[in-house]
Order: sequence, then C-alpha cells, then structure tokens
Amino acid sequence: MNSWVELAWLVPVLPLASAVAIASFGKNLPGKGSEIGVLTLVAAFVVSIGIAWETFSAGTPEPFERAVDWSPLGGGFVFELGMLVDGLTAMMFLLVTTVSLMVHIYSREYMKGEPRFTYFYAMLSLFTFSMLVLVISNNTLQAVIGWELVGLCSYLLIGFYWEEKSNQDAANKAFLTTKFGDVGLVVGVIVLSAGMFGTGTSTPFNIQETNAAAMAGELSTGTIVLGMLLIFLGCVSKSGQMPLHVWLPDAMAGPTPVSALIHAATMVTAGIFLLARLFPVLAQSATVMAVIAIVGVITLFFGGLLALVQDDLKKVLAYSTVSQLGYMIAAIGVGGYTASIFHLFTHGFFKALLFLGAGSLIHAVHSNNMSDMGGMRRAMPHTFWTFIVGSLALAGFPLTAGFFSKDEILIAGDLWAGQGFATGSLVYWVGLAAAFVTTFYMARACFLIFAGENRSHHAPHESGPQMVGPLMLLAVLSIASGYLLSPFSSQEFNFENWTATPFVEDATYPFLDAGTAAGGDTVVAAASSLTLAAEGGEFSILHGVPTWHPDLLAIVLALFSIAVFLAWRFYGKGLPERDPTLQMGAFSRVLVAKYGFDDFGYRFVVVPVRDTFAKWASWSSNVVLDGIVASVGRGTKTAAMTTYRVLDQRVIDGGVNGAAFSAAWWSNRLKRIQSGDVQRYAGALVAGTIVLILAFAAAR
Amino acid sequence: MSLTGPLLLATFLFCVGVYGVIARRNAVLVLMSIELMLISVNINLVAFQNLLFPTEVAVSGHLFALFIVGVAAAEAGVGLAIIFNMFRNRASVNVDDVDLMRW
Amino acid sequence: MTGHDAVFLLVALFTGGAALLTVTSKNLFHAALFLAATLAGIAGVFLVLRADFLALVQLVVYVGAVAVLFLFGLMVTRAPIGREALDGQNRGLALAVSGTLFVVLSGLIIQSFGGVRAAEVTGPGIREIGIAIFAHWVLPFELLSMLLLAALIGAILLARRESGESGEESVERRIDFGDEPSTEAGAQALPAADTAGELPAGEPVAGGER
Repeated sequence: MNSWVELAWLVPVLPLASAVAIASFGKNLPGKGSEIGVLTLVAAFVVSIGIAWETFSAGTPEPFERAVDWSPLGGGFVFELGMLVDGLTAMMFLLVTTVSLMVHIYSREYMKGEPRFTYFYAMLSLFTFSMLVLVISNNTLQAVIGWELVGLCSYLLIGFYWEEKSNQDAANKAFLTTKFGDVGLVVGVIVLSAGMFGTGTSTPFNIQETNAAAMAGELSTGTIVLGMLLIFLGCVSKSGQMPLHVWLPDAMAGPTPVSALIHAATMVTAGIFLLARLFPVLAQSATVMAVIAIVGVITLFFGGLLALVQDDLKKVLAYSTVSQLGYMIAAIGVGGYTASIFHLFTHGFFKALLFLGAGSLIHAVHSNNMSDMGGMRRAMPHTFWTFIVGSLALAGFPLTAGFFSKDEILIAGDLWAGQGFATGSLVYWVGLAAAFVTTFYMARACFLIFAGENRSHHAPHESGPQMVGPLMLLAVLSIASGYLLSPFSSQEFNFENWTATPFVEDATYPFLDAGTAAGGDTVVAAASSLTLAAEGGEFSILHGVPTWHPDLLAIVLALFSIAVFLAWRFYGKGLPERDPTLQMGAFSRVLVAKYGFDDFGYRFVVVPVRDTFAKWASWSSNVVLDGIVASVGRGTKTAAMTTYRVLDQRVIDGGVNGAAFSAAWWSNRLKRIQSGDVQRYAGALVAGTIVLILAFAAAR
Repeated sequence: MSLTGPLLLATFLFCVGVYGVIARRNAVLVLMSIELMLISVNINLVAFQNLLFPTEVAVSGHLFALFIVGVAAAEAGVGLAIIFNMFRNRASVNVDDVDLMRW
Repeated sequence: MTGHDAVFLLVALFTGGAALLTVTSKNLFHAALFLAATLAGIAGVFLVLRADFLALVQLVVYVGAVAVLFLFGLMVTRAPIGREALDGQNRGLALAVSGTLFVVLSGLIIQSFGGVRAAEVTGPGIREIGIAIFAHWVLPFELLSMLLLAALIGAILLARRESGESGEESVERRIDFGDEPSTEAGAQALPAADTAGELPAGEPVAGGER
C-alpha cells in the first residue's frame, strides 16, 4: 500500500458490503446485524481519517483520479466509473463516515426492540453508501446515480414506520419533491455535457475536465447559465431551499437517527457538495451566482423564522437545518466557497449532535413535543450539556465551531459586497438577522426542554452509554472542528488549503474587473481589516485564513445576549400560558401556515394533478354552461317546444339510437377478430410485418 | 462464394418456420417451428461475418450467433415446461383448444 | 459458380428439404426427426461458411440436446402416433403469409446484396472467438449464464408435478405454484370442511378430533 488515497474506493464499498451482509444474514447474528454495520463503518472511518490526514498535510492536494471505462457508449464518448479524491472529497468522507458511524452506534440502543431492526441497519448502510458514491464520483453521471440512490434510501427510511399513513405520505412527499428537482439536475448535467462535447473530449461528464473547460472559457455562457441553473434546481430540492423545502420538516416522520443522518451528512449536504464541486463552472456567471445567493438568503431568513412557532422539537431542528442550508447556499452565491463547505462541515457535527440529543430526549419522554418536556436538566445531565453545546454552536456563540464557520460566511458576503455586489451586503445583514432568530429559537427550545418542571407523563432517565457516547464525541467535534479555519489555525495547514483544489486556487471571476475592487460604500468596517488573498488585487476565490473582527464579534455577542435574554424572559420559568411566538397576530399565523407553501403545493400542484379534468368539467358545467343555458334557455324555450317533435324525436333520437345500433352491429362483427386463436394472431402479426417491410423498402 | 446463397437459405428457413407456427396444431410442433425461425437468423449472422467483415476483432457475428443458441435453448426449455403444464391442465396440446382469451 | 458454391448448394437443398418436411410431415415423430436433420444441415452450412466452432456448438446443443428434448416432449404429452389432422384450419393463412414474406424478403435481398462481389470465405479461429468472448463480451456472456439458470429454474417450477396430481384434471383447476398446501392436505381438509357447517362461525375447524 503506497498511500491511503489509493484505498479511497474502499470507503463507499465497505458500507455497501455491510448493507448486503446485513440484509443477507444479519438476522441470525447476536446483534441482529448492527455489529456488521458498526464494524464496517469503523473501517471506512479509519480509511477516511487516513485519506484526510494525507490530503490535509499536503497543503492544497493534487486531486487523485482513477477511473475505469464502464462501457463504450459509441459516438466517441466514454462513461467512466471512477473516483476523484481531493481535499473536498476527503472532508466529505470524514464528515459522512463520522456522522454515520455515530448514528450506527447510537441506533443500537435507540432502535432496540424494533421489529425491523435488521432492515433498518441495512438501509442505514445503504444510505451511507449512496452518499459516498456521490462524493467519490469523478463524473457528473456517476454523481447523478449516487444522488438518486440517496433519494431512494431517504424514501425508504423516512417511510420506515410505514404502518401509519402520514409517514407514507411524508416519504412520498420527500421523494416527489426531490424528484422534481432531480429532473432539473439530469437535464443540467446533459446540458453541461453537451457543451463539453464541443470541446472534443471523449469524457464529457468528467468533473475536472468540465471545470477546466469552464475556466478556459471553452463553454459558452448559455451552456453555463442554463446548465448550472438546472443543476441548482436539483440542489434546491435536495438541499431543502425555498420553495422546495417542504419535504424536509415532513421527513421527521422517520426515526430520529435517520433524521440526524439526513440533516447532517448524507442527504441535504448533497446539493451543497455538488455546487462546490462545480464551483469553477458557476463562478463564470454572475447571473448564476446572484440567483444562488438570493435563493439562499431567502431560505436562511424565512426558514429560520418558521422554527419559532414549532412545538415539535424535531421540527424546530428541521427548520434550523433549512435555515443553515440557506447560509451555505448563500455563501456559494457570494463567492464563499470555503465558507460554505466549512459551514457544511461544522454544521454536520452539531446538527447530528442536536438530532441525536433530541432522539435521546424523545426516547426518555416518548413525545416529540417540547411542551411535554421541561426540567430535563436534572434527569438527563449528559444529554443536557451536549445539547447545550450543540445549541451554542448552532447559534454561533463565539469560540464554537458554528461561530467560526458562520462568521466566515458573513465575511464572504462582506467581501463580495466590497466587489460591488448588492447580494453580498444582503447576505451579511440578513445573515446577522437570521443569527439572532437562530439564537432565539434555540434558546427557546433549550429553556422549554431543560428549565422548569417536568411536564411529561414519564419519569425520564438518562440514556445508555451507546447513546450518550456519540453525543459526547459529537459535542467535542462541534467545538473542535471550528479551529480548522479560525484565527488560531496555521497559514499553511488549514481547512481552506485542505479543501481547495488547484482549480479553485487558480480560478477567478471573469465577470469581475480587477478595477472594481475599490468601491466599498456598503462595506462594513470589518472589511477594512481584510486583505485580499490573491496578489495583484485580483479577487480570488480563496480568502485566506480569517483574522479577528472585533466589530463583528461585538455585534454577534450583543445579538446573542439579547436573544437569550428575550428567550429567558418568555420561557425561563417553564412553558408560558400563551406562547409569545404564537401571539404576534398575522405574523404568527403566516408562520404557522408555513407561508402557505404546503397549502399552495396542495392547492396548485396536488389538486390539479389529481383532478384537473373533474375541476375543469365541473367549472365549465357550473359556470359556463349554466350561465349560457340560463340566459339562452329561456329565450329558446318556446322555439324548442315547437321543434321538439321534429328535432328531438326524429333527428336526435334517431341519430343517437342509430349510433348505438351501428356500434352494436359493428362490435358484433368485430369481436370475431378476437377468436382466441393464437395462430391467427401470429399470422396477422407477420402480415403486418410484411406491410411494414414494404413501407420501409418503398421509403428508401 | 456469393453472399446471396446463405441469405436466401436463411429466408427460406425463416418462412418455413412462419408457416409451421401458423399452420401446425400441436404445440410441440409450433415450438419446433419457432426454433427453426430462431436458428435461421444465425446463418445470416455468420454469413455477414465471414463474407463481409472477416477481420473484425470482436467477432460480433459469431458471438451473436452463440448467444442466440443459448437463448434458444432457454426458450425451448421454458416453452416445453409451459406445454407440459398445459397438457396437465387440459389434457391436450393443441393450440386451437386453448382459446380462453377469446370474446 | 465455384466448387464452394456447389457444396453450399447441396447442403442448402438438404437443409431446406428437411425443413419443409418438418412442417409438413403428417407424423409427429418424423417431424421431430426431420427437425434434427434440419439442424444438422444448418451445422453443415456453418461448416461450409467456415464457422467450425459454431457448427460444433450447433451439433452439440441442437442436434444433441434440443432435438432430444423435443422428442421427450412429444412422448410425455402422449402425442398421437400416426396420421392425424396435424394442421389446423389456418393452413391457407399460413401459406399466404409465409409465401408473401419469402417473396418480399428474397426480392429485397437480391436487390440489396445481389451486387456484392463473391468473396473468399475466411472465418475466425476458435482462439479468436475465445478471446472475443472473454474480452469484449464478458458481461453479455455472464448475463447469458444467468438467463440459462433462470430458464432452468423456471422450467422446473413450471413443469413440476405436485404430489397427488394426475395427468387429466378438470379445466377449472387453478395452477398451483407450491405456496399453498398441496392437494393431499387439501383433500384431507375437505371432509372436515363439510362438518364445519354445524360449528358456530369463527371457531377453528379441528378435523382430526371429530
């Protein structure tokens, strides 16, 4: 073995092997198959660490690419099946295997006694495998395969408790909503590859080649804009961006460990990952970046607001995921490549922690609702402090991982604003506002759960070591992972250099003139302390190691304190009689109705598809025909009476009866064709073939 | 050697097979005629390969012929099993007795 | 017309004649034997065309296995031996259709390939075929093995006789694939079901105790 990187194919293959092994003989093992899952995930995790270490210590690592020709498709191009391992892949490997391993361990206790325990573990491993296929792929077609597998596994796992109709509906909703975006993704991939054909390559789906061609300006602007916007549509649905986020909260119907997996590592991150993979392509177009930034900003703010009015703890976390994904998407849209995937990385850890903590709480009180919890601090001390760590990280409290990554996004927005883009300042200010909202709803959740008196009907007790252990480890990671890219990290070995590819290092934004870098009215003070990483004033994609921003720190701390104070005022004494977030009139009503997206979807997508024709028919008969008949009918009544005998009895009845009689006559004749004699059918078939042959021969 | 000879022979065998499929009553004979149709195609494939593209590396014509032999063997096995079943249920293997799918 | 063509003509006449007799013979067993002769003739055509390996495969698989399988099939289905109305009422249709097809196709073939210059027949050796199978065609080859396995299992499943079944049965008998209890168990359960009429509804029928 020369290096770990060459073993990268093992990382997806191990979970696949695990899934197959569990499915085939897991039931007969003492641990019902869970031990296979855990052990193989440990192995995959070790390999991921090796790969991560090798790529991390290499500065900006050279991508390692290996591919086999899956099949010669003809027409001069090849469908590859391969792996592309660089820092980005290594980072995703590490994230996915860590979170998946934690979930595997955690579920041993959480899912104990489930009748479909083994099936659950097989699906869990398959889910991990699907995501890793997407991550490792060196071409977009393979990525689509992984993408679809992820969608399928999420469908199976969200509908895990399929006995209940609502869970089936949630699974269907998730599947159909993401499938809607997948259509965009597939078409986008085809558009990009069609553009790549123009460059004369034999592997038009290859990601590296696509990036290189886009940077060299070989792809036309139309190809890039259309292709990337369509691919972004896929990311919107998969990564829960508005307005296709509706499936994500419903996906809470699945078991809580699955939610952790979906929200932290395997599903919603797929869209961000794909955008990061193709970042050099989308950086060619200001339009694409603006669209991405705006969708992200809308999602990060309005998604966060929705979390305010939820009582279901998992739904609070779900909407917080929507909001945090909005941050990542917005960061992509304002050139914050590193910021986006860094937030993806840290968010993976603390969101997994929060979900697993929520699972621990739900396990203890047998209810998802925060109004049934309360006073958990004493009963579940370990869950308490790990959950608090996760909440702090999510709220971006200074020196937690969430703080460093979120600030990175805000500063990326600030720098973008410095280039004269309004979307940059939008991300900066809305991001700050949403951070306030985030802090508030997380503080609300924490107070409702942990403060006050126990409102549940059970005597809650701390979960066992297999559940608490992963919580503690993730809590440590939720703080430690932030220091990979912080003012403390070294200039050479940091997250940015790790995940940067040579393409990202060299790429610039062609739509940016070097001269426009000066305009800075909208730049807040923080920007002045920043220097552009690239020499010669060119605005590079990489921003360099961050420095301290005392002003931003002050704003963040102030917002944090205000939000926590407000939450304490409202919820510190336990569940208030009237929840203030529900007392804000129209605002609350809008939030509770989730902006009407679900309603909108039901009314304008489900209903028309289900009964377009019935609606149309009833409308036309009720409104149009009734109206016409009512007005015209009266006038023609007398005339109709006189012609009744002639027209109705003779012509119409005659016509109708005649039609019926002729139909009966003809069908009596024609039914004899259906003799049931196969040989006659065969003869007819050959006769038809002869006619076709003659037709084709004549056409030539 | 001219190409038309094998092609015409194959066509003749195929048409004889078609005749058998349509005209014969006994299901086993119908199956035999189907075999005849299948195998006649092989002559075409081999003739094209050896007379028109003798230097092709992949030897597609021969390989397709081989695959057809395999598929035809599978088809004969399953077909006979179906005929046995039909015989067991209806005590007859005449195809014109099996006309449940008529009006 | 070369000597090669002459040999081919002889083999072709033999094959075509045997094929014609296969579909016209009044005796079922003669038909099967003529089919074997046709298949052997086709193997001869392969030999003339310098496809030695295929000719061997043809002999082994078809003449050796499939023709014998058909003979077995005829015997097991108690085919009437001797002259009988083997043709249905579709003979006219069959003649018309196949005749037209032959005329159309041969016309097209002569029109398309009549101008192709006669060429020397060269065939690939077994070595080339082996390399091609395991280099270019591995995947289809493996698929074919899967297909044969599936056909094997399917044929067994279809043709398997459940215990207690006899050859002649009523038309209404449904096809039983083995998931249900066999007919023996069903036959035992039947008398119990008759007495069940006296039992209160919903009580399990315990045929053995009565």
